[in-house]
Amino acid sequence: MSATASLSRAPFDRALLLVVPAAAFMLLLFVYPFLYGLGLSFEPKEGGALGNYKHFFTTDNLWPTIWTTLRLALPATLINVGLALPIAYKMRVKTRYQRWVTTILVVPITLGTVLIAQGALTYFGPRGWLSQTLQLFHIYDGPIRLTHNYWGVLISLVISGFPFAFLLILSYITGIDPVLARAAATLGADRAAQFRHIYLPLLAPGLAMCFCLAFVQAFSVFPSAVLLGSPAGPTRVISIAAYEAAFEQYDYSLASAIAMIMGFVQLVIVAAVLSMRNLFYRGPVVGGKG
Amino acid sequence: MKHDFTELKLDRVTRRFAGAHGHAFAALNDLTLTIKRGEFICLLGPSGCGKSTALNCIAGLLPLSGGSIWLDEMRIDTLPPERRGFGMVFQNYALFPHMSVARNVGFGLRMRGVAAAEVAPRVARALKLVQLVGQEHKLPGQLSGGQQQRVAIARAIVIEPPLILMDEPLSNLDAKLRLETRSEIRRIHRELGRSTVYVTHDQDEALSLADRIVVMKDGVVQQIATPQEVYAQPANLHVARFMGYRNVLQLPVEREQDGRVMLGGGDIHLTGVRKQPLDGSHACVAIRPEEIVVGDGPNGVNTIVGRVDNVEYCGRDSLLDLVTTSGTTLHVRAGGHVAMGDYLRVHVPVERALVYPSEAAVS
Repeated sequence: MSATASLSRAPFDRALLLVVPAAAFMLLLFVYPFLYGLGLSFEPKEGGALGNYKHFFTTDNLWPTIWTTLRLALPATLINVGLALPIAYKMRVKTRYQRWVTTILVVPITLGTVLIAQGALTYFGPRGWLSQTLQLFHIYDGPIRLTHNYWGVLISLVISGFPFAFLLILSYITGIDPVLARAAATLGADRAAQFRHIYLPLLAPGLAMCFCLAFVQAFSVFPSAVLLGSPAGPTRVISIAAYEAAFEQYDYSLASAIAMIMGFVQLVIVAAVLSMRNLFYRGPVVGGKG
Repeated sequence: MKHDFTELKLDRVTRRFAGAHGHAFAALNDLTLTIKRGEFICLLGPSGCGKSTALNCIAGLLPLSGGSIWLDEMRIDTLPPERRGFGMVFQNYALFPHMSVARNVGFGLRMRGVAAAEVAPRVARALKLVQLVGQEHKLPGQLSGGQQQRVAIARAIVIEPPLILMDEPLSNLDAKLRLETRSEIRRIHRELGRSTVYVTHDQDEALSLADRIVVMKDGVVQQIATPQEVYAQPANLHVARFMGYRNVLQLPVEREQDGRVMLGGGDIHLTGVRKQPLDGSHACVAIRPEEIVVGDGPNGVNTIVGRVDNVEYCGRDSLLDLVTTSGTTLHVRAGGHVAMGDYLRVHVPVERALVYPSEAAVS
């Protein structure tokens, strides 16, 4: 028997069995609940199969939650990625302070959203430290309202989302061979040009990925929207609508439909960003043989 | 940025790094060197000798700890790399992976604000010089190692730098490609006449490429001379060892006269040429295996008898280990058929036995 013939009838690779636990986990805990919810969303209490979706898009306190959530999640994501990029870029070279700065920046990731919300209430509240300090030095004497409104939720999303974006971008940046920037320097590129022509294009796919992950995280905001926002008004995000449907009206079918809509909006944004990612180079980020 | 110069002067260039216990150690110590226009200089030495440090100091990628660098009357060691305008070829090529070959090569021109209409023909000319026409639109990842290295060379020369710096550019290529690319580098240097500083640990590369070789060890220059001189007249024992003088025999000094030294001990008596002032009762004789001749010397001078203990067949000749009765091993290159256990009479011409102070006395 020739070698190719034996290769084409290769015996079953038993190492593939290692995939089974993970696949079972995904099926049981993600795929099944998702399909169950999808099915449930087409079985409304009243109306046809699309009754829930019709209800969502025609009810005045439901459909605007998409816009309300986007208005929070998009700016929060842009701020997080936009802030993390320059700081991570600065932190890419090992210095004495690098470890300390990184640690301090990452600490919020260890706190839960509820802890962050509690801290933000005492710090940013009308009688909080920030307010008192500003008034003490007469920097700003007017009332400071940074809690129980849009800004409270945005601040909390930045605090909880930034470390995540920062760590992700830092790992992308340190993966870029620093010799590339040195080569660019010998060819006449100053620091700004090195960033623009070398780091930024090589980082673009990573930034897109980071944006997607940070966005999905921000879009499903719930605790801080309740604790730091005004859940009846300007920060009535889509997850609050789903929560109310499920646990106040006990309409699981409507709640499932809202969750599906929420997932769809996330998918649209993620797909849009990832398709832009394809415009950039996505190979290894080293300059030759290592 | 100047496009030409008469002299590049390194004046006591020193670079210190923080060592393991906070002590600074000098990776490069007082390198003084004048490079003339069009000259091809090789920095040669084992790894850790400071040759790459020297190159990075010239390029501006490492600040100096002491000394200065002058391009004619202009002091350049305070300028950042992007304002020195030297072309550099890196060991691992350092091609921009997201740019096509043409954009890689044109990068330096674009950074210099050269008009787009002028960039294309200059890139084409550079690619023609390194024989990569037709590969313009490929990404570096789609090229072979040898092609990538030629892109790196094209990228460095297209900006017409006054000085080209090369950091072990051939060390990642296989033996055949290394020889080809070496000839290529020599040809490009001949055609463009650009001054080049080339770092290598390979003595063959240095000998075949350089107009002058700078041999370094532990951050200190050992010898600066033409390839012929470094090859035939190493300045000290370290250079001799590095240049292939594999036989280093430490022997008692019997007599010194007119630069000739007679040494002897046991069954070996040699007369050689003194290369450095001797001190102490012993000295070292350095001899190349290929300069040992089979047969007795004139009047029996410098004749050694030994038994063949090992034979490595090399094609044109063989590399033998010859053991004398006192147990000294001598490496000899000899043609013809030699078998293990044969007794062989060999000699070394007096002017090819180089005598240096013994190592204990040096250090």
